[in-house]
Amino acid sequence: MSRETYFLCMTLTAGVVTIALRAFPFLMFSGNRPVPPVIRYIGKVLPPAAIAMLIVYCYCSAYQDKSFASGGFGLPELAASVLVVALQFWKRNPLLSIISGTILYMVIVQNFV
Amino acid sequence: MTKRVFKAAFVSSLPVLMGYSAMGMAAGILLAGTVKLKFLPFWAFLSSGINISGALQFIMVNWTEALLPLTQVALLTFCLNVRYAMYGFSLIEKFRPLPWLKRGYLIWSLTDETYALEVDSAARTPAGENQLDFCLGVAFLDHLYWLIGVTAGAVIGAALPFDSRGIDFAMTALFLVVLTDQCQSKINRLSAAVGIISAICGRVFFSTSNMLIPAMVMMGAVFIIFRGKFERKPEQKEGEE
Repeated sequence: MSRETYFLCMTLTAGVVTIALRAFPFLMFSGNRPVPPVIRYIGKVLPPAAIAMLIVYCYCSAYQDKSFASGGFGLPELAASVLVVALQFWKRNPLLSIISGTILYMVIVQNFV
Repeated sequence: MTKRVFKAAFVSSLPVLMGYSAMGMAAGILLAGTVKLKFLPFWAFLSSGINISGALQFIMVNWTEALLPLTQVALLTFCLNVRYAMYGFSLIEKFRPLPWLKRGYLIWSLTDETYALEVDSAARTPAGENQLDFCLGVAFLDHLYWLIGVTAGAVIGAALPFDSRGIDFAMTALFLVVLTDQCQSKINRLSAAVGIISAICGRVFFSTSNMLIPAMVMMGAVFIIFRGKFERKPEQKEGEE
């Protein structure tokens, strides 16, 4: 499969799932049918866990193709992550946090690693 | 739709314009800098236009590089976007008067930011105007900002030969920002801890490309088994669902 074909299939797969999720309440619980408690529960507790899992996955992916040592022993990730979390905690401005952390990370990996 | 209501929708959507164009551009540049695709701006346009989902747009780049199996794509998209399934509950009544095509568009284009404006539409629509026209205006404009941001990013990223090494950290940063905000509540911190431990277990026992499904299974099992502990008022304990 070419990368283009893969990209198309992947986009459509993700699109079907995303749109089905958006449509779910409208299709299932029209009228006054109550929402089953277990669905509410999963919808509430899953998002932070999924995001946390993806963060770990991002770190693992960053080291998939290179050794831990040649990638800077995880220090670039650590430094940039601390900056992002600290800025977000302090200023609550997502754009500022993301851009600052990314620039710091780019500077470190392009110049020091 | 009158000019007046469209103008109100535009004014309300201005903060989203800032956010979407910047984030979309970052996602587009990341895509252009990481993945080699023919007709890249077209793919950026298509994927952002269909999905309209920020985190997804970023992580897609990883998936394309790894040629992640589509079953995993589906499962991960589910985990990432399951929150969208909750938004609709507060909009069912509001959207009911619309014909199916317009209702379908509002459902398709529902993002975090668009949702926030749509639930607030009563206060934001000028007197005498139709709230649903306001919602349609906001949905369309937000969709457009995202689409243009991502596509422009892909064009710029492909045209400018600048060193984009390390720009993939933008995705990690996006997730960190979302998690930092979510972790203000105790229950979310507990949930995040479950996610981190599950992911580490997944990575310990499997390779990076295979870690996510076992991690998700572990997460799901923990949430179902310990449901009583996670719910603020544990009404009933259930062994399984």
